[in-house]
Amino acid sequence: MAVRTQQAKKKTKKEFIPNIVVFACNWCSYAGADNAGTNRMQHSPHFRVIRTMCSGRVTPGFVLKAFKLGADGVLVSGCHFGDCHYIFGNYKAVEQFEKTKGLVKTLGLDLKRVRLEWVSAAEGVRWANLIDEFVGQIAELGPSPLNHKPKYG
Amino acid sequence: MMDAGRHPNIEVLTNSELVRFEGRAGNFRATVKKYPRYVDEALCTGCGQCVNDCPVIVPNEFEVGMGARKAIYSPFPQAVPNTYIIDRVNCLNDQFLVCTNCQKSCDRDAIRYDDIGEEIELHVGAVVVATGFDVYEASRIPSYGYGLYHNVLTNMELERVLNASGPTRGHIVRPSDHKVPKKIAFIQCVGSRGEGKEAGCEYCSRFCCMNAVKDCMLVKQHEPDIEELLLFYIDLRAAGKGFEEFYQRSLDMPELKYIRGRPSKIMEDPETKDIFVYVEDVETGKVDKIRVSMAILSAGAVAAAANPDLANVLGIELDENGFFEVETRYGSPLHTARQGVYICGCAAGVNDVSDSVSQGSGAAAEAEKFIEKIPVETEPVEIKELDTSGPPKVGVFLCHCGINIAGVLDIDSLKEYAESIPDVAYVENNLFLCSDEGQRLMQNKVVEHGLNRVVAAACTPRTHEPVFQESCEQIGLNPYLFEMVNVRDQCSWVHTGVPEIATEKAKEMIKLGVAKARHLQPLYRKSIPVNQSALIIGGGVAGMAAALELDAQGMKVYLIEKEGRLGGRLNNLTRVYPANLSAFELARVMVEKVKASRVEAMAGTEVTGITGYVGNFDVATTNGNFKVGTIVLATGAGIYEPKDEFGYGKFDNVITNQELEDILHDTKGKIQIHGDTPKNVVFIQCVGSRDAETNPGCSRYCCPTTIKQAIRLRESGVNVTVLHRDMRTVGAKAEEHYRRARELGVKFLRYTPQRLPLVTGKDNRATSVEILELALDRILDVDTDYVVLAAGMVPNEASTAKLQDILKVPRGADGFFMERHAKLGPVETTSEGVFLAGCVSGPKDIADSLAQGSAAAAKVASIISRDTVNLEPTTCIIEPSLCRACSMCVDMCEYHAPSLVDIAPGLRAAQINQALCKGCGTCASWCPTGAIVALHFTDQQINSMLDALLLDRV
Repeated sequence: MAVRTQQAKKKTKKEFIPNIVVFACNWCSYAGADNAGTNRMQHSPHFRVIRTMCSGRVTPGFVLKAFKLGADGVLVSGCHFGDCHYIFGNYKAVEQFEKTKGLVKTLGLDLKRVRLEWVSAAEGVRWANLIDEFVGQIAELGPSPLNHKPKYG
Repeated sequence: MMDAGRHPNIEVLTNSELVRFEGRAGNFRATVKKYPRYVDEALCTGCGQCVNDCPVIVPNEFEVGMGARKAIYSPFPQAVPNTYIIDRVNCLNDQFLVCTNCQKSCDRDAIRYDDIGEEIELHVGAVVVATGFDVYEASRIPSYGYGLYHNVLTNMELERVLNASGPTRGHIVRPSDHKVPKKIAFIQCVGSRGEGKEAGCEYCSRFCCMNAVKDCMLVKQHEPDIEELLLFYIDLRAAGKGFEEFYQRSLDMPELKYIRGRPSKIMEDPETKDIFVYVEDVETGKVDKIRVSMAILSAGAVAAAANPDLANVLGIELDENGFFEVETRYGSPLHTARQGVYICGCAAGVNDVSDSVSQGSGAAAEAEKFIEKIPVETEPVEIKELDTSGPPKVGVFLCHCGINIAGVLDIDSLKEYAESIPDVAYVENNLFLCSDEGQRLMQNKVVEHGLNRVVAAACTPRTHEPVFQESCEQIGLNPYLFEMVNVRDQCSWVHTGVPEIATEKAKEMIKLGVAKARHLQPLYRKSIPVNQSALIIGGGVAGMAAALELDAQGMKVYLIEKEGRLGGRLNNLTRVYPANLSAFELARVMVEKVKASRVEAMAGTEVTGITGYVGNFDVATTNGNFKVGTIVLATGAGIYEPKDEFGYGKFDNVITNQELEDILHDTKGKIQIHGDTPKNVVFIQCVGSRDAETNPGCSRYCCPTTIKQAIRLRESGVNVTVLHRDMRTVGAKAEEHYRRARELGVKFLRYTPQRLPLVTGKDNRATSVEILELALDRILDVDTDYVVLAAGMVPNEASTAKLQDILKVPRGADGFFMERHAKLGPVETTSEGVFLAGCVSGPKDIADSLAQGSAAAAKVASIISRDTVNLEPTTCIIEPSLCRACSMCVDMCEYHAPSLVDIAPGLRAAQINQALCKGCGTCASWCPTGAIVALHFTDQQINSMLDALLLDRV
């Protein structure tokens, strides 16, 4: 945990700070992020969460808009298959996400910048690891070509 | 606490005591003495001005004497009611002294030095005793030097020290020199599991093991540079849902060392004030003197000192430990010998939080039988709705949450930032925004400044949004004009090491909240009729208890059981600890009660499908279809089937504890296994428990079960040896039975998972068990005629998976159904109207299952005792003018909420049934024309958040 915090500190020195938007479903992923909090699982702070009721709510439009406005990465996170509070909302999210990926590719962006993941309400550890890993991946890719004001710190 | 304080049907009498009690169940007359508070509750606003002016400083009991308070004080930060109280023993206003500082400072003129209290007569139907426990006085063990040595604290003191709002603001320091300790020793079983007078109580206090493990992890988190944490224990009792997994995680901490051994004494180094712990490590046999900087005594729980008086007034008995005596005849832990008087939590013995909560709900169900039904809501108060039609005027309220938030984030900087956001009209911060005082502050400011949107930057909306929304409603602000920003769970708690970055992040989070708040629209709840009946799936103890409870309250109940007869696992057991009840008798009595009741019991029936929503479920079974308002899942758990562990399957005489139970059942008391009377029996514990591959959790029931079986065999002259990892005899009277087994000559030997016992034999019979005796460091051969494997409790995979499929209730990593909240909602699920009882949510014994059955009944009754249920308005709606009736939403919705209707002759459009819509918003994301609006999560709201975040970074 201390190591992670140090890493986060180190990044603030002069490295690129990615601008990441995370769409988290209310029942699993947002609760999983809370669970990380309850367990004090320290992780990278370089992401902002927008809560939706279900991952199926996330239209390709939201993701594209985020990229258009300069986001370096977008993560959509829902419940594991079979866990969806709305039965098959996450399956719908997969279908939507396929369209999203096609459009992101058309924009000329690296598909590594966008991801669909599953985190359950009990998986605070998984949430923290996922965030650290995704932030690391985006940091490695560097600023998005559509991000005209990348931030360094 | 706050919910109880603000509930219209709950009157909270604090600082009060029951002094007289007469009558019988359904018609009790209780006299309550309300002690003087010297502050008028109706007038005091809890502003705290008097505290500043009070000249008297005395030790604060709530901080276990480590902090100070004034003579006029509020007992603790979130106290309900939030009214101050004068401690007249220390107050300087008496017949000789005439300090009137508090009176002078009180703007409301609420101080009453001449208050003499009052006696209140109450006419009640039932009584629930929930008076809790006292902490064992650690100074009663002189050899541990508590009270003599500076750096010996109790677990309760450490809890305060670790608490962010505690006396040291969450910093761990030694009392002697205020330096951060390098090595801390945790000493378990102080006042628990004792023998002889000095050592305290004979029972296990149950909570202290997990408490110490948790504290070790917290200490490490607070002070990352800590060098060593030593935990001295006898058995590590991580017996509860998720506890074993937590304990296993703690084993990964390199600083934390578990040492099996009970220290004989503790001494202080007079110069450095370091502590010496004298202990024999029973695994190595080494006697050692270990120097640490600080020692924490895990003081156990003892019966509350006031129990004898209360028992006397109530006319009920105490047990030998001073707790309220449970009437065990019913098997349930809730009954006393007096009808209409029930007990829950630690009043009747030691319980952990989730069991106490279950018992609390269960006791409520028992009490409900004697209470005249009164409408749950009082007269609806007409609240004039505030006019919110104008341009957005957003109020931002920042919560410190003690120092949970304020200890990491720079509140002043957040405040300054929030004030600069366009449309923000007012910003305020508060120590505990969720407290009575904080909520009142929020309400007052909304009215005072004419705010029409409220943003609270505090904890998670998942737990606290309803509290804030209710406060908004009370002043006529539509609750859906409130938005919550989670700067605690998802910011200050997880970015603790980088406070500046975390503060910047919190600013952006607040900006997002305000962006959404600008576009929030008032929404109105709808109410729908409730089918006043319940379906209980599973006819075991938990299910039958729930059914009988609801039937006694006059509710319609369907009880379905997959097997051919009711009774569940009780049918396969002989006797039930701790009261040695006959399982057969208990099952028979309950089944007969069910048969004599109006409960519609259907054995040999399975559920095939359930559709609908709270208040209106359509149930399809193999035995007909019907409608119910609520559902209780009480399908129990499975027992682990050993594969080939310990020679199971290879040797005929290696059996499971369930097989032994069947044998004991069949032989009707005469101990004969397959016709022979065995001489030697060896039990092996934790088969299919505490094992990462088969079942990571502790099954909790097996240790007491083994003790029960071992005593039974030993009493018939059999030599019994129990091979175990930790004897986890938690629960009522379990430790006493463990002691009795040892006295009877049952031998207990410990094994470790690294070196499992080896069962050897000839042909198909096991003849001996090899075990490495740790202290002797020698391999022992134990002769045996039978080996009994204590098989763990695992989810009943087939039925659990099927029900999960039908009802969409989530399961945890252990495969059991997940509760709404591990501590506070043990019988609720995330699905409204669907509840859990018994082993379906994790291993439990019979008493706990019965309590959960009653608890689920109470939860069911809270829904089906009303005619209607309120529906959340956060559903999807369709703008008909944009809809082109493509029916995509109709095809995709799992709840069949949208349907195509004729909106005008020849013009079709989709329409959404709001009672069916769950508000997931998936259809809104798919709708090709954008006709569907997901209320409270609209495109406009989410897009405005993206705009705020990305177009204008801080």
